[in-house]
Amino acid sequence: MSRISETLVASPRNMIDVRRLAQSYGIHIALLTLILISAILSPAFLSAGNVSNMLLQIAPLGIVVVGQTLVILVRGLDLSVASVMATAAAVATSFSGQNGDAATIVMVALAIGLLTGLVNGLLVTKRNVSPFLATLATMIVLQGLRFAYTQGAPSGNVPPFFRAVGSQLFYGIPYNLMIMGVLAIIFSVILRRSTFGRKVYITGGNPITARLVGINADRITIACYLASGALAALAGLVLSGFVGVVDNWVGRGFELDSIVAAVMGGVALSGGRGTIAGALTGATILVVVFNAALLLGLPIEFQILIKGIIIIIAAAFYVRRSEA
Amino acid sequence: MTAFAQSTYVYLTKRQSGLFIVLALIIALLLLGAVVSDRFRTPANLMNVFEQSTALALVSLGQSFAILTGGIDLSVGSMISLASVLLSGISGGDPASTAFAICMVMALGIAVGLVNGLAVIWLRVHPLIVTLGMGAALQGATLLYTLGPAGSMPLGFDYLAYGRLFGMPVGALITIMLFVAAAAFLRHTVFGRHIYAVGDDATAAELMGLPRRTVLLFVYAFSGFMAALAAIFLVARFGVGQPYTGQNFTLASITPVVVGGTMLRGGRGGVIGTLLGVYLISLLNNVMNFMDISSHFQMIVQGLIVMLAVSIYIESKRKI
Repeated sequence: MSRISETLVASPRNMIDVRRLAQSYGIHIALLTLILISAILSPAFLSAGNVSNMLLQIAPLGIVVVGQTLVILVRGLDLSVASVMATAAAVATSFSGQNGDAATIVMVALAIGLLTGLVNGLLVTKRNVSPFLATLATMIVLQGLRFAYTQGAPSGNVPPFFRAVGSQLFYGIPYNLMIMGVLAIIFSVILRRSTFGRKVYITGGNPITARLVGINADRITIACYLASGALAALAGLVLSGFVGVVDNWVGRGFELDSIVAAVMGGVALSGGRGTIAGALTGATILVVVFNAALLLGLPIEFQILIKGIIIIIAAAFYVRRSEA
Repeated sequence: MTAFAQSTYVYLTKRQSGLFIVLALIIALLLLGAVVSDRFRTPANLMNVFEQSTALALVSLGQSFAILTGGIDLSVGSMISLASVLLSGISGGDPASTAFAICMVMALGIAVGLVNGLAVIWLRVHPLIVTLGMGAALQGATLLYTLGPAGSMPLGFDYLAYGRLFGMPVGALITIMLFVAAAAFLRHTVFGRHIYAVGDDATAAELMGLPRRTVLLFVYAFSGFMAALAAIFLVARFGVGQPYTGQNFTLASITPVVVGGTMLRGGRGGVIGTLLGVYLISLLNNVMNFMDISSHFQMIVQGLIVMLAVSIYIESKRKI
């Protein structure tokens, strides 16, 4: 939108450098400052119990954020993730609550996630629907399907295995955080080292160039939506393992939280810029803010207020260079 | 055939083929409803549909303007909630303070919209993020003000929602007038054309010397104002402001705009399509209620309609 006006009113070079520096490390400085302030304000913040509590909460959001980052990198947006989480968790656990069926449950959940991702991807690429609307529509449809399937009251039981994975610690490190870590590393390596990863950045950075150099941009985009759907489905299982029950609103609010986390972490909504590590730092900030607000006894309405202000400040931080 | 009928026919079928489809769907729904239920056919039921669609129509009008510039306003839901609790909270049933409260709430809507616009212009943050953040902040403010229904309204205030003028609900008449005025404004004023130009290609518009910033400030202020108006109607309908009244309106306000053929990327579409979209959705819900379709399936149908609408319009995209 403002590409030309920006070139016309170019800022001095040293200003740009300061901005770049702030863009590279701002998020980490913000996180450290936040932790420092929270630790000073509330002695309980850095206690072992609270730290592991926070670590447990990072994983479900973090897994969704990995997928959301992929989608945003190709100039997309996935509003259906929370709906995928709840639907996958509710449907997959409705058959059985036994440990022996864990593999089946994961498969069913993944199938739901992948199918949603495929619909999203096809709508966005083949029908040229704006990602916001395409994923909004699948979100609503999934929500309806879920309610129709569960008749409003999910009857699923979470197998003990999922409970353990979702809420137990291994020498102080939650299992779910390990899952998130492994997934994050895998997808980071794919993005950085593989041809596919580079194609993702090119497709998001400039779809026309991508097509001109012979990249099947549609296929790359669909792959990103597939990944986002699958990761959201996994996150739904992990989160219901943490909570211990499946209800119709598992992961409510995650669609916006995951976008906010990615944007805070420097993933540009205009596509082609950002990393998974950055986005996960953004997710950590969100979790820390909520935790600190809770420990300080601030009412929930303050949390919402703070969240809103943080979103705007963080986004303002990463001034876009150009817009699609 | 008269020239007018001919030009209308050409306009509907050639230039606004999407509108034609929506209109056809509305007629099909009316027929379906008439077949399905006797009570559907009663004027009372149709007036009911008008009554229920007023608030949605008002928010969607503001949303249309934001979307026409290629933006979006996700703060409208929280704006409605805040405006409605402030309105009935300040009024407290006293007519004098009600007048003050109405003015204040409208001014607040404009002010919030201006802040949105300023953030979009100066911070150069995507409108999606700006208004999302604003929405969260407004919802927080609403809950700080009250956690439950607040205050009350003077007797007779529900005239806005339930009153009849020439046999039509007052709110629906006001809504239709506003939409017609907005359509004329968009089509026949210079500033209205600027809105389309900015939405179509902001850079080109700016290079041509069009007031991009003024346009953006205007559309977000207008959207905030319309959200406040919607809140006033909702308070008239429910008799009291509630802190979660607006929650569903954020996304609901986008659906009619899209169904009505306005492109999310901006510069294409119009508000008459939005109004038809609102009536289509309200009618659809009404008919499905008469058909005893559970709300679960209603949700699925609504989602599918959004999908269908956005897929159809891409094919027929065309310059205004």
